[in-house]
Amino acid sequence: MKESHKLRWKQGNCDEMKLSNKGKIWISSICFIIGFMIAILFETNQSVELRDTRDSWEIRTALQQEQEIQQNLYNEIAASEALLQEYEKQPERQQMESLTESIELLKEQAGLTEIQGSGVIVTLQPIFQMDDSYQEYPELTAELLQFLINQLNDYGAAHMAIEQERLINITPIRNVNGRVYVNNSPIGSLPVEIYVLTDDPERMINHIEVSESNDYFALENMEIITEQVTELVLPKFDETIDLGGLDVLESQEEGES
Amino acid sequence: MLLPALFLILGLVLGLLTNITIPEVYSNYLSIAVLAALDTLFGGMRSQLEGKFNQSVFISGFFFNVSLAAFLAFIGVQLGIDLYLAAIFAFGVRLFHNLAIIRRIMLEKFQFRKKE
Repeated sequence: MKESHKLRWKQGNCDEMKLSNKGKIWISSICFIIGFMIAILFETNQSVELRDTRDSWEIRTALQQEQEIQQNLYNEIAASEALLQEYEKQPERQQMESLTESIELLKEQAGLTEIQGSGVIVTLQPIFQMDDSYQEYPELTAELLQFLINQLNDYGAAHMAIEQERLINITPIRNVNGRVYVNNSPIGSLPVEIYVLTDDPERMINHIEVSESNDYFALENMEIITEQVTELVLPKFDETIDLGGLDVLESQEEGES
Repeated sequence: MLLPALFLILGLVLGLLTNITIPEVYSNYLSIAVLAALDTLFGGMRSQLEGKFNQSVFISGFFFNVSLAAFLAFIGVQLGIDLYLAAIFAFGVRLFHNLAIIRRIMLEKFQFRKKE
């Protein structure tokens, strides 16, 4: 056995000797190619990680946003702690009272109570062209209404109702069989009134008047008319709030920042 | 034996210095090709140690294996089958096999020399 190995190595050594210069260069160049390929693969895998290409302004804005979020969280914690302390200090009967108070407050925030205050009535109504051409009666779409509601929220609306439907955080606005449904009931055709409670009605009216939703509604032959009112009563949300389909979002979605 | 090793290092250094990268889509092909190349290299080393080295087999094996591996990966992508796994498996097994044989021969060589 060992003899054969000995023979083999000797043979091998002989072969090594036999290798011509040309052969050596061939093998060397193949080794070179292999090395080059490995290096390129290594480089490629290294450069995959994403570079942060934000400039200092964007980073500053992002930082500011995060700080705002942090501030809000601190405020919430402080408020909750104050509430907790209040509970602990009070005797039992008062505790019950303050609990009911909190429940009332939460109900109000959730839109489960009637609410009144100063605000704006936004009326959506059809525009009719003055010429004699045939014109269909304009129809409201859920997309337009959603857009307008988002804008109103943006302009500082505290509470809203479309016709007699109170808008809460999870109110659906959708097209069903060609009609617009809010809170699972149709709101009927134009004109439609949206009641908006806000601290500063005048500012909101100014905002609406210059907003681009005017153009979008005008394209569909509708106009937005605003009216300031000092006393506005919004109906309560009278269905049960079903949060069965909601889940906690564990991770931030891609492309959100 | 020294010259190929030198060239291997030279290729590595040059590749790293030039900073060439390929699109990520093709990195799969390259990784397969590298695996095939390594397989050929170790195969060559083994046959050299066994005294069965044949230069044309080595060179043709290198180019044939590399292109076959890349082609297999390409076909796999076109057909939606992970065919490159087959190549990785085959080359991986052969790589370990070759390395084991190389190790054994080296060991025996070492022991033999010690005895002498």
